[in-house]
Parts: sequence; C-alpha cells; structure tokens
Amino acid sequence: MRRFKLDGLKLGALLWAAGLALPFALDSSWVSIAAFFAIYAITALSEDVILGRAGMFDMGHAVYFGIGAYVTAILNTTLNVPILLTLPLAMLLAAAAGALLSAPLIRLRGDYLLVATIGFNAIFVLAMQNNPGGITGGSDGITGIGVPSLFGLQLESQSAMFWLDWALLGLVLLVMRNLDTCEFGRALRYLKQDELAASTLGVDARKVKTLAFALGAALAGLAGTLFAVQLSTVSPSSFVFTESVTLFAIVIVGGQGSIPGVLLGTALMFVVPQIFRSLAEYRYFVFGIAMIAVMVLRPQGLLPRKRSAA
Amino acid sequence: MGTFVQQIVNGLTVGGIYALIALGYTMVYGVMRLINFAHGDLCILGAFVGLTMLTGSAGGGHPGAALLLLALVVSIIAIAGAGVLLERIAYRPLRKADRLAAVVSALGASLMIENGIMLIWGPQVHVFPSNLLPATTWHVAGATISFVQVMIILASLVLMAALYLFVNHTRFGTAIRAAAIDQDAARLMGINVNRVITSVFIIGPGLGAIGGLFIGIYYREAYFTMGWTYGLYAFIAAILGGIGNIPGAMLGGVLLGLFNAFAAGYVSSSWQDAITFGLLIVILLVRPTGLLGERVAEKV
Amino acid sequence: MLRTSTIGLGISVVLLGASGAAHAAPPIKIGVQAPITGTYADEGQGIARAVKLLAAQQNAKGGLLGRTIKVITCDDQGEAAQAAICARQLVNDHVVAVIGSYTSGAALAAEPIYARANVIQTSDGTSNELLKHGYKTWFGNAAPNSAEAKFTAHYLVDVRHDKKIAVLTDHSSFATGLADAVVADVKAAHGTIIDKSFINAGSQNFSPVLTKLKALQPDALYFSGYYSDGGLIRAQMVQLGMKATFIGGDANQNVAFAKIAGAAAAGSIIINVPAPADLPYPVAKQFVAAYKAKYGALPPSVFTLTNADGMRAVMQAIAATKSVKPAALETYLHGMKSFQGLTGTFAWNARGERTGSPFVAFEVQQDGTYKILYPAPTAG
Repeated sequence: MRRFKLDGLKLGALLWAAGLALPFALDSSWVSIAAFFAIYAITALSEDVILGRAGMFDMGHAVYFGIGAYVTAILNTTLNVPILLTLPLAMLLAAAAGALLSAPLIRLRGDYLLVATIGFNAIFVLAMQNNPGGITGGSDGITGIGVPSLFGLQLESQSAMFWLDWALLGLVLLVMRNLDTCEFGRALRYLKQDELAASTLGVDARKVKTLAFALGAALAGLAGTLFAVQLSTVSPSSFVFTESVTLFAIVIVGGQGSIPGVLLGTALMFVVPQIFRSLAEYRYFVFGIAMIAVMVLRPQGLLPRKRSAA
Repeated sequence: MGTFVQQIVNGLTVGGIYALIALGYTMVYGVMRLINFAHGDLCILGAFVGLTMLTGSAGGGHPGAALLLLALVVSIIAIAGAGVLLERIAYRPLRKADRLAAVVSALGASLMIENGIMLIWGPQVHVFPSNLLPATTWHVAGATISFVQVMIILASLVLMAALYLFVNHTRFGTAIRAAAIDQDAARLMGINVNRVITSVFIIGPGLGAIGGLFIGIYYREAYFTMGWTYGLYAFIAAILGGIGNIPGAMLGGVLLGLFNAFAAGYVSSSWQDAITFGLLIVILLVRPTGLLGERVAEKV
Repeated sequence: MLRTSTIGLGISVVLLGASGAAHAAPPIKIGVQAPITGTYADEGQGIARAVKLLAAQQNAKGGLLGRTIKVITCDDQGEAAQAAICARQLVNDHVVAVIGSYTSGAALAAEPIYARANVIQTSDGTSNELLKHGYKTWFGNAAPNSAEAKFTAHYLVDVRHDKKIAVLTDHSSFATGLADAVVADVKAAHGTIIDKSFINAGSQNFSPVLTKLKALQPDALYFSGYYSDGGLIRAQMVQLGMKATFIGGDANQNVAFAKIAGAAAAGSIIINVPAPADLPYPVAKQFVAAYKAKYGALPPSVFTLTNADGMRAVMQAIAATKSVKPAALETYLHGMKSFQGLTGTFAWNARGERTGSPFVAFEVQQDGTYKILYPAPTAG
C-alpha cells in the first residue's frame, strides 16, 4: 500500500514538473487557459476540503475566492501594497470569514447548510455591488491591479504568471496530500463517515469543522489573489452563485476527497468547454447532457478516492 | 395603511407562485432526498409550452378562457412527462449512489433544459398575449388588486389544499408518506416505491407547470434563464418551511414573498436579497430544520 | 523537385489573385467577442449576426483591399475570466479589430489585453472605468453615460419641469453608472431627487419597490436599466395606479418594451438616439431590413446597431487608409470628423468616447410606435 502511494506521488510530481514546460508548448491563449486551470484547481481543491473531506455542503465557496481577490485588488490599487504581500492577508481574511460565517452554522445539517451558504454568496455579491465605504468599486469592480514582482523581477509575461500560479498549485497539492495523512485529515474522515462515533472517539466536531472551513477558505483566498492578478481587474460578476455551483460540481464530478479526481474535474468543467467553443450556442446544452452522463456512468466521480486501509 | 395592505397583496401573489414551485422541490426531496435543481427550469419549460399553445393556435383572434385551459392542460401533461423522463434517465440510475451524484446530475439537467429552451425558442424575451384574462382591478383598503392576482392566490390555495388532502387522506397518499419515511420498509409492506417516485415526478412538475404558466400570465414575459432564478427562490422557500414537508413549502413560499415585499418596501431596495437571505439564515439558526421541519437526525 | 514546383504554383496563384479574384489573398480577420450563451445570449447573438451580415455584404461587393473579410466569434458568456481568454484567442488569431463585448465586466477584462497587443476594440460598454487607463485601442460605440445623463437632466428639470423625480436602477455596471450620472446632473440643474431605489434585474417582482415609490408621489420615475425589466415596471406602475410618468434610459428602447408593458406602454417616455426603425437615414433602414430578411427577426436592441456601427467604422477605416495596420486605423478613427452611423452621425474623441450623438425623448404610442417629443421635430 505504502509503495503504491509513493508511486502516485512520483507520478504527480513528474506531471507537475512536465507542466512547467507548458508555456513553451502552447500559444498565449492556451497559456492563459492553463493559468486559469491552475487557479480554478486551487479553488476546487479548497472546496474539496470542506465538501469532499469534511462532508459539509458548501455552495457559496465563491465568497472566499472573492474575498481573496478583493483584498488584493483593494490593497494594491489604493495603498500600493505589492501583490505578493497582499497574498497572506488575502488568505488570512478569507480564513477569518470562513471561520466566522461557518461557526454558528456548523450544526446545520446537509441541505440547510447548503442554503445558508447560498445566502452568504448572495449577500457577498450584493455587498460588493453596493460599494460599502466606496472601496469595492460597485458593479464596475476595481481595475488596474498591478503585476507581482519576485526578488525585483516583474512577473509580467503570460508565462511568468503561469509559473507563479503553477508553483502555488504545487504547494497546495502538497498541503492536500499531507491532509490525507495527518491527524486533522483523519478526524475529518471520521466525522464525515459517522459524526456520532467520531465524537465518542474524542473528536471535537465543532472545532474540526470550523477549522476545515477556515482552511478551505484560506486556500480559496490564495486562488482569489492569483485570479485578480491574472485578470488585472475584479468585479462582482466573477463571484456569483453559479461560480460556487461550478466548484461544487467539479468536486463531485471529479471524486470527493481525491486529488487527481478534483484536478480532472477542473479540467473537464473548465478546460473542455474551451475546446468546444465551435459548438457556439449548443455548447452548454451538450455540456449539461455530459454532466448527467458522467454522473450516471461514474456515480463516485471520475477518479474516486481509493479506500484507505486505515 | 394602503401601502401596507398593498405590500401584503404583492407578497402573497409571488408567494403563491413560489409555493407552487416549492411543492415540487419538497415532494421530490421528501421521497428521494434529492434536490432537483432542474425543477425551476421544468416550470419555465411549462411556461414556454403554454405560450406556444396560446400564440400558435389562436390565429390572431381572442384566445379566450377555453384556450387558456387547453394550454394549461397541455403544459401540465408535457412537463409531467418531462419530469418522469428526467427521473428515468438522470436520477433513477443514481438512487443507490451518493446523494450528491444525483444533485450534480440535476445541475446538468438544469443546464440542458435551460439551453434547450434557448435553442428551441431563441434567447429573446417572449411576450404573452395581454387579453387572456379580464383586466379588472379592485380597490380594497387603499390597495389595488387585479383579477390575475386574485386568481393566482386562490388557485394556489386550492391546489395546495387539494395536494394536502391527497397526500394525507388517500391510500396512495399514505404510500407516498410511507416511502418518504423509509423506502425499504415501504417496499416490504408491499408498496410499489417505483410507482410512488413516478407519481411524485408527475405531481411536482405538473404543479410547477401551473406555476410557470402563472408567471407567464401575470408578468406576461418569459425567457430561458428565468427557471434558475425562480427555482432558487422556490428551493429556499422549501428549506425555509422545512424541506420534505408539504405545508412547510406552502408556508415558506408565502413567507418568502412577504419577506421580499417588506424588505424592498420598508427597509432597503438595494439590500433586498441580502435582507431576505439574512432573515433565512437567522431562522435556520433558531430552527435548524426550517419552520415546520421535523427535528430528527438526518439519515446517512 | 516536387516541393519547389508546388511553391512556384503557390506564388503564381497569389499573383493571379492579386490581379483577378480576391480569394487567394489572406482574409482580413475581424473578431467578435460577445455573450453567445448565458444571460445575455440574446444581445450577444445579435451582435455576432450583425457583424457577420456586414462582412457578408462587403464580401459580396468584393471585400476590402481585394481581400475577403473573415469574422471570428468568441463566446465570453459575459464573464470576466472567459473574456480574458477570448481576448488572447482573438489576438492569437491575428484579428485587426474586435467588436464587443456587450457587458462592461467582460469588456474591462479584455481591454488591457487588446491594448497591449494593439488590436482595436469597439464595444458598447459605457463604464467610466473603460476610459480610465487611456488605451488608444478603445472605441466606445455607444454614447457615453455622461451625454445621456446631461440630456435627461435637462429634459426632466427644464423641459418637463418635474418637481419630484424618483430614480430606479438595477445593480448592473451600466445602469448604476447611468443612474448615478442622472442623479448628479439633476441636482446640478437644481432639480429634486426624492429617492433612488434598486430592483433585482430579472426578478419580475417589482411591485414592492413601486408601492414604496407610489407613496412618495413622484412626478417622474426614471429607470436606467433594461427593457425586459422596464416594460414590466411600467405595467406594474399602471396596475398599482401610480400617476408618475415613466421615463426610461436608452436600454429600454426595444420592440419588446411595448409588448411587455401592453396597454400600459402608451405614454411612457424613452430617452435615446432615434430608434432604428425611426432613423431617418436610409442606411439604417436598409440594414434593419437586411437583418430581418436574413435572420427572420428584428435586431434585439439598439446595441446590435451601435456594434454594427463599430464594424462599419472599422471597415471604412481600412478602405480609406488602404491598410490594416493598427496605428494607421487608430489615427483615422480618432481623426474622423463625422461618421455616418446607423445610429446617427458621430465621431470619436481622443479618449475613444463617442461624441455628437443627438439624443431625443420620445413617447411610446398606443400601437407601439414612437413619437418624438423633444427636441420638437421641425415641421416639413
């Protein structure tokens, strides 16, 4: 078993390293699609922490993605804070929001939590549109977000930005892999399988679930920063409820709690529609049918999590 | 005073529509534990089928009550059929699978139906004929009430009462309730659970088609993305009342309509949805399974 | 040997093409970035159709500079991330100019990418943010909010002498921008704004907010959002017995407005450049007729025509400069004294803002036609 996991890690590392060469192989529009893939993959993995691993139905995940993007946009455009310095703040504020919003709602079951998170998403978008204190730019959003710089080097080109996104995706993948094996990750699994039994084993359900929300939100905040940089503009329409629905679907289509599954799910839900642009107005009709077909044929997701021996 | 009464009328009218659509959500959920995210799109498909009946066959003349009734019947049959078909193709294969697989299948179905409507009828706003019903209005306590509003409120009440009686006081209704409590036990007691599920997918979308057509008749416009908006509101109404609970869906729909009216009318129109959702979250904090939901541990 | 002979053949074909048929030269590529799917699919498909129609018409006349025009469409769904991807794809496809996109959010995300690649972008986006960075590739093909707001304020305060004005808007970038500008200009003209309220676009349930406004008894209710909501607002105003005059911004101008409002439509006032069907210019009438003949429906809104004007201006620039070089085209477009558009005569200032659009206030009649109220049409 251990030997197999090691192989999985090696394969993953190899694929990630090969990915670094993408800018040499692709034209600039595909480099930017690859960059968005990395960003959405981080966001989907962060949703997986909450939905796939902790088993909490979060259908408002775009909120934390949005908080990260807005924190970076506001700090960079109004106070000229360098992009990479805004990143830890974006993660921290998103995590705080995740913990604060979820703490009172943790006891809600399944679908009731789902609706509460939809509510948060609606409130967040409206708040950004209403431009509280004149800091979010209303419906126009915020434009003119700067370029990140590393050791005095401006990461201005498409390729440089892609490498930044790809490197951070690599880091997030390592975090997710550790989550598979660490104690916190095991606590999440027990909770998801049987909350009552987990509690008798001494797992503090409330604390673990709130932490899971905070961790998922922090990673989404990280992706939000990258998103703001990639577009150099943020507006409320990028963080609406349908975005949360897409993230939710990516995790289920890919396979809950499965890192390769979530990555494949992201590719299917985000990259594949780019390939089928020629379908024009038929595109999302076909896409809807494909979603049904995937679920019916692979109800556990495309690459379901392997049952651990533990 | 007149303003207050008017806001009640405003809230009750949309509340009735939300409730009709919410019933479809809650019945399907009650029996299958499935959030049928395609339900709102089915309802709007009903509005489009009805519209085609009303405008396609009228030949320019006065549509009249008979044609309206015909459109209603055809629309109900078509949407009930679509509901049953959807269950067979997209949900039945997933009955034993993880609940969320069926939810995502439903999301796919929603995309398919929404874009299907766009492909068949086009992306533009469609307008319903204006002469379907009398334009009569009454003035009550300083408020204005139109014939259509009275019809929607009354029809919603009658349909909901009929459904309540059917589920609680007929043999088949008992079978539905039994299947909702425990499908396996119901099967052992000789209840044909497949038939129950099919019936739920006839009744829910059938009522939804009426709701969709009411939207068309009242607002006189329909376009392909509407189903998502109404579906979301109706789903929230069902949760508010306690999902799986039929009187809860009615109560939730009406309350949601009233919340919306009072939020926009008395608090702040720019924060209307935030206020509505805020109230919803507060209610869930006080009553974690909705207003009329049972306080039992969720089946895993 | 075989290889050289094919190359030789290729060259001779190109030479032939230059002297005779236009087909051998590489086509001039024009991009369309528009929401082909999603909420704004109606408008997006209208824009793509209009541009394709204009290209086909021009190609039937032999194309431009002896080359055919090829239209490449990219669906941005009205979303920022998709818009950025579309922009990069169209740039890679070596388009000379891009028509679109429809929503300000999508136009904003694409704008810096076109600017860096030096590709002309002509869009109906009206957000002030689009002008903020001074990109010389930007050409707004719809009249900016500022001009419309000024006319609206003048019309409400000085012409109609409305004492109490209520403003209603949705949360979109376009409508809030216009509403804010109207509020500011009405105040500058010493008019009184008694309330500014919001609707949820597409929610249809506008009676609650209208009931609140009715109690405030405004003389005029100004709505800056879109026709599908505007028509319903008008209908619900009448149903509630509201006396205020409905005055709609330019996005209310659509054939569907009067149909949705039904009997209530008559008496509503809309402020815009003259309606496509009412445009006195023969080019506009011909274009609308050709569009209807080809697609079996009228253009979804006036924005189809403003984007068509963007395409026509770009084609005129290519023909006049005999070039597809961005710098030459930008200089030409910025320097045009007046361009005879489908939506009126206009020009572009140095910031790429459309100038010289003649606004009118017109009243919707019982039969759905428009009657110009102000400025009073000259008798003749």
